[in-house]
Amino acid sequence: MKQLTEITTPFGEVAAAKPLPGTELGWLQQLRDQAKAQFERHGLPAKKVEDWKYTSLWQLSQEGFSHDANEVSLGKTELAHVAALEDAYRFVIIDGRLNAVLSEIDNLEAGLSIKPLAEALDQAENMLGDQIDLEKPGLNAINTMLMHDGLALHVEAGQKISKPIELLVISTAENPKLASHLRNLIQVDADAEVTLLEHYVSLAETAGFTDVVTEVKLAENARLNHFKLQHESLAHYHIATLASKQAAGSIWNTNNISLGGKLARNDIHSQLLGEEAHVTLDGLYLVTGDQHVDNHTRIDHAAPNTTSDEVYKGVLDGNSHAVFNGKVNVHKDAQKTDSSQSNKNLLLSRSCEIDTKPELEIYADDVKCAHGSTVGQIDEQHLFFLRARGLDETAARSLLTYAFAVDVLQRIKSAPMRQALSNVIEKRLPKGA
Amino acid sequence: MLEIKNLHASVGGKEILRGINMSVNPGEVHAIMGPNGAGKSTLSNVLAGREGYEVTQGEVIYKGENLLELEPEERAQRGVFLAFQYPVEIPGVSNIYLLKAALNAVRKYQGLEEVDAIDFLNLVRDRMKLVKMDEQFLHRNVNEGFSGGEKKRNEILQMAVLEPALAILDETDSGLDIDALRVVAEGVNALRAEDRSIVMITHYQRLLDHIVPDFVHVLSEGRIVKSGDKELAKELEKSGYSWVHDAPEGQTA
Ligand SMILES: Nc1ncnc2c1ncn2[C@@H]1O[C@H](COP(=O)(O)OP(=O)(O)O)[C@@H](O)[C@H]1O
Ligand SMILES: [Mg+2]
Repeated sequence: MKQLTEITTPFGEVAAAKPLPGTELGWLQQLRDQAKAQFERHGLPAKKVEDWKYTSLWQLSQEGFSHDANEVSLGKTELAHVAALEDAYRFVIIDGRLNAVLSEIDNLEAGLSIKPLAEALDQAENMLGDQIDLEKPGLNAINTMLMHDGLALHVEAGQKISKPIELLVISTAENPKLASHLRNLIQVDADAEVTLLEHYVSLAETAGFTDVVTEVKLAENARLNHFKLQHESLAHYHIATLASKQAAGSIWNTNNISLGGKLARNDIHSQLLGEEAHVTLDGLYLVTGDQHVDNHTRIDHAAPNTTSDEVYKGVLDGNSHAVFNGKVNVHKDAQKTDSSQSNKNLLLSRSCEIDTKPELEIYADDVKCAHGSTVGQIDEQHLFFLRARGLDETAARSLLTYAFAVDVLQRIKSAPMRQALSNVIEKRLPKGA
Repeated sequence: MLEIKNLHASVGGKEILRGINMSVNPGEVHAIMGPNGAGKSTLSNVLAGREGYEVTQGEVIYKGENLLELEPEERAQRGVFLAFQYPVEIPGVSNIYLLKAALNAVRKYQGLEEVDAIDFLNLVRDRMKLVKMDEQFLHRNVNEGFSGGEKKRNEILQMAVLEPALAILDETDSGLDIDALRVVAEGVNALRAEDRSIVMITHYQRLLDHIVPDFVHVLSEGRIVKSGDKELAKELEKSGYSWVHDAPEGQTA
């Protein structure tokens, strides 16, 4: 690992330079101090840390990202082009700053509250930081020190929100080499239901850095359909933590689609704390060129009768490198846990690389756990069949690639969401005909 | 339509086809019969252009062109259709999508526009009746979870939609019960046409009770050892294939 001081400096100085929200809150100040101390002790994770074995942050630390951005806005029509969903409540962050004009914050339907992070902090003492582990090697500490913007979403008990919320995080060419540290707080109260799409996108092929932590708290029988679409520029770094605590009977359906970035890392953690809580962790990564994508997921079955269902699929081309690590931890008292996990990878080139590893730790005796991972290439028999039906080789290959990935999309229940995400994916994976 | 001249082909260095001669005119139905391992599927794969088969001698002329020089898709686009002995399952590709993509590939070669959505649906519905397939099969993935008989019917459905000039049916009857056999045979019979040739590969005579061929050939150890009309198939049923090994080469009835 590189000298701690070298790596610390670019981030360390910022804390002083930039006015951060919530400085008047004692508990928050304390938390930030704690985070700073943690970061000073450990710095960025080195490759000798098991969870970061395949993903190096060395280059990131050398990029010299800035934290000052000029304010940028977009026209409404331009925004409509960038947005994935037509009919949604939009919350728009451009180059790290909330754009209040383009966001729908006021006059929402009953039971729904959407606020900028800064305005939610004074009521966030029990929420903020509760879902994540500051000590965990990664960027949780940096994010806690430097978080400046984000979405605070709250749904009151019993409310079923009629439209999805699209959190749009846009990077423009106006502020190249910008680092953003975002914190999203998502709280769904008992028996309530809402759909959220986190959408990260670049408008130009410029370098940038998005560091985002999304914390999710689901009360009893709450349901969150949580989508993430990341297609930032090929020069962009994206490092995210997505962590939930789930009470009894709650459902967290996630679908995490990674298309962009030079380096993208997701740490996704579900804590099933009450009986009959369920989590779906689905994901799709399509990487090519020199892209590097790393998904680390962890599910804690900490109560009896909890269920989890995980399907991650990857398509790798060029010199890309993908990492999948799926931990499932069944605690001692979590009898009748039912967990299934699969990670399947399709390699389209000889020089791409995949490291995939399921990790099961089971401390209960009456459980059902299935897991498996595969790495393969396009099936020659399938290819010949399609060519024998008249499809040329290129078309047949791209159809089979699309077909490999499509079941992750087919698992999306909401038709408009499925359509929106398919549209984006079909641009990368043409169906072939 | 199709002229096979002294065709020799080997797989993995082993010669499987050892001098096939055969001529198929428009509108004719030919049956190729023979014991397991005779080279029947090898012949159909060579005609369809599957990789891994090396043609060492001879030629195949299809509609005046050297068929063996064409890519598999070019053969398909020109009207050569192979119904596979073992149809593959293709997860993630729906039947209707495959049919449309295949039809459009042929149309593109013919210089036609992509098929209109409504015309296409009408065509497919009509052809599904021919093989008594329920419409739900359109939206299922190609052959995924289909029974053996459903897979074979699905092959014939593709043939019915694509309307090839030359259809090669590799053991389309194997694994079918008598009802399914009848459905498939009726489908094929409905597709007999003056400008369409059909080469039926089969191990058993029973298919030929339903689809009556104009010519029957017996393939053994990579050669056609006997040719005749439908009566030859009946003879074979009585005496089995044991005699074919002793038959003089290239004998015709
Ligand atoms: N890919 C292959 N590799 C090696 N031998 C093969 C291959 N395909 C076919 N063969 C051999 O070629 C011979 C003919 O096979 P095939 O054409 O499938 O016969 P049939 O369809 O008449 O039963 C058999 O001996 C078979 O084992
Ligand atoms: Mg065969």
